[in-house]
Amino acid sequence: MFWHVFKYRLKCLLRDRITLFWTLIFPLVLGTLFHFTFGHLTSDAEGFEAIKTAVIDDESYRGNTPFQEVLQALAEPGRDQFLDLVIVPAEEAERLLDEGSVVGVIRVGEDMELMVRRRGIRQSILKSFLDTYSQTMNTAQAIAVENPAASFEPRLSFTEEISFSGAKPDTNLGYFYALIAMTCVYGSYWGIRNTMHLQADQSPQGARRSIAPTRKTRIVLSDTLAALVITLGEVSLLLTYVHFAFGISFGDQLGLILLTSLVGSASGVALGNVVGTSVRGDENLKYVVLLIANLTLSFLAGLMWAPMKDMVSQRFPLLGYLNPAALIADCFYSLHIYSTLQRFWINIGVLCLITVVLSLVSAIHLRRERYASL
Amino acid sequence: MLVRVENLVKRYGDLVALDHFNLEVQEGEIVGLLGPNGSGKTTAINCILALLKYDKGTIDVFGHPMKPDAYESKQNIGIVMQNVAVFRELTVYENIDYFCGLYVEDAKKRKEYVAEAIDFVGLGDFQTFFPHKLSGGLLRRLNIACGIAHKPKLLILDEPTVAVDPQSRNKILEGIRELNRQGTTIIYTSHYMEEVEQLCTRIVIIDQGRTIAEGTTTELKSMINGGETISVEIYLLESERLAEIRQLPHVNRAHYADHLLTVHYDGGEHNLLGLLDYLKSHEIAFNKVFSEQPTLNDVFLEITGKQLRD
Repeated sequence: MFWHVFKYRLKCLLRDRITLFWTLIFPLVLGTLFHFTFGHLTSDAEGFEAIKTAVIDDESYRGNTPFQEVLQALAEPGRDQFLDLVIVPAEEAERLLDEGSVVGVIRVGEDMELMVRRRGIRQSILKSFLDTYSQTMNTAQAIAVENPAASFEPRLSFTEEISFSGAKPDTNLGYFYALIAMTCVYGSYWGIRNTMHLQADQSPQGARRSIAPTRKTRIVLSDTLAALVITLGEVSLLLTYVHFAFGISFGDQLGLILLTSLVGSASGVALGNVVGTSVRGDENLKYVVLLIANLTLSFLAGLMWAPMKDMVSQRFPLLGYLNPAALIADCFYSLHIYSTLQRFWINIGVLCLITVVLSLVSAIHLRRERYASL
Repeated sequence: MLVRVENLVKRYGDLVALDHFNLEVQEGEIVGLLGPNGSGKTTAINCILALLKYDKGTIDVFGHPMKPDAYESKQNIGIVMQNVAVFRELTVYENIDYFCGLYVEDAKKRKEYVAEAIDFVGLGDFQTFFPHKLSGGLLRRLNIACGIAHKPKLLILDEPTVAVDPQSRNKILEGIRELNRQGTTIIYTSHYMEEVEQLCTRIVIIDQGRTIAEGTTTELKSMINGGETISVEIYLLESERLAEIRQLPHVNRAHYADHLLTVHYDGGEHNLLGLLDYLKSHEIAFNKVFSEQPTLNDVFLEITGKQLRD
């Protein structure tokens, strides 16, 4: 009986072209648009090159050992190389600047001097670096003069130390993670469709199924499993598409990626079940409520503007934890960025909790045995 | 007794949909619930099926109280709803198989039942069709097939012929008679009095949630004074002749207007023959003649003072 109901529910849902369009084709198209919109931005960010800079080789430079050490550190070849340095006489430096071989020329002195020929991001970065260096050195000297006994420890770390998996953080990935989260949450459209066919006061099909001598629990579980299987299939298809077609990375922990997809899909289907059973009104009203809910959750998860998710997490952390879409996106981000899984498991745990609560609420509504009106 | 409903009261706010409604259905009967739209027929059916909450009364089906978890009773009930209750995404065969599968677990047995149901409603050529490709009549037949495939002992049909062409309607009514001949007890709701009159062995007339009359067609018609009504087209009829016609045997009343003589009888036999003899003997020229037997509408009119289709 269970598999009989499951088989036909699967057929019913898979033949529903409109819902299939919104839950599968729409995310695929949106993913493609994201790629063509943000793809070049990602390439630019990944293609950051060290800033070509000339330093005038004179007495002042040779006498300023601390600055030499700083420059050496920043010009160290590697992934984090900041400066591509040449130490040349003044005339040579000016020639290089004129012909555009270097972005700027630094003259070391009491006040650091930067010469540039045009304005741009790289010139600004260079200026910012010199200003920060001068400011720090001046502060240290002032303290040493005024209070020689005091020790000055420059602020060496501006950020909290976190574990990285070796991947580069990329804001644009946030859009793709939010898109996958949206697809999981769109499982709610399958959920609500199921509930319309489960309740006698919502459809003739629901009435006919309510009259049958089959336990409602069995029908609900079969229907929900069918919705879950389809949503999971859609999410997997989208993951495969954006990964292989656009090179979007999700880390290398396939099992956990699938777990996120599964729990995310379950939370989506459960959301649809709740709206379908709890909202009083006709089918159209229920769909409008669900549409607004899905758009709001996706927006807060950063689908329309990637920094939104972090902004919500910082200012309204509780809201971030109540949003399944944000939690799903954060799970993918955690798997990609962090080498530890603490944050991932917290997200999965909260998602499971949300799914259970939503399922309980819809179960309470669905177990109603008789209706006040049909 | 297959179904016993006693003193059923169902309110929607201030509106009393069922007002101490009673119904008894014996095995093998075709019971017709006849009443105008909004009289409480569908509400009564939904209460019997344990879909609707009700305020007062008791409902027993197959000798047991009818509750949502009365699975044993439900196993033997078939329902054909007023609104077509099939899935648009499933074909004719799949729909019947799906609903039959909610009652019959054995796949082999189910296959036989589905084939029989398809054959019974005459949808053999449409098995792979999706519902939206079917005409209104065929769709109604599919609706019926979904309700009867599991061979229920009690079949409830709620207005199954609404918006159906005459050919499909006849097919449906003939099918219901056949099911009854095979042993299925039937409850049939309709506001089409002709259907109920043709089909049902017993009729319950409902108005405003109450049973206002019940019995066989003959019993119900005998409850009212009215008998046959004869109308005759006559070019000219003098008032003296009209007065004489009023004196003919069994004539209750007669009037003449717009060249039409209408005579109402309150019983008697061969009234038409007697009237025509009178007209011929007095050399009164006449054209068309119409004779109408009393209908259930007349019964309803007599009891409630309004038409059944008001």
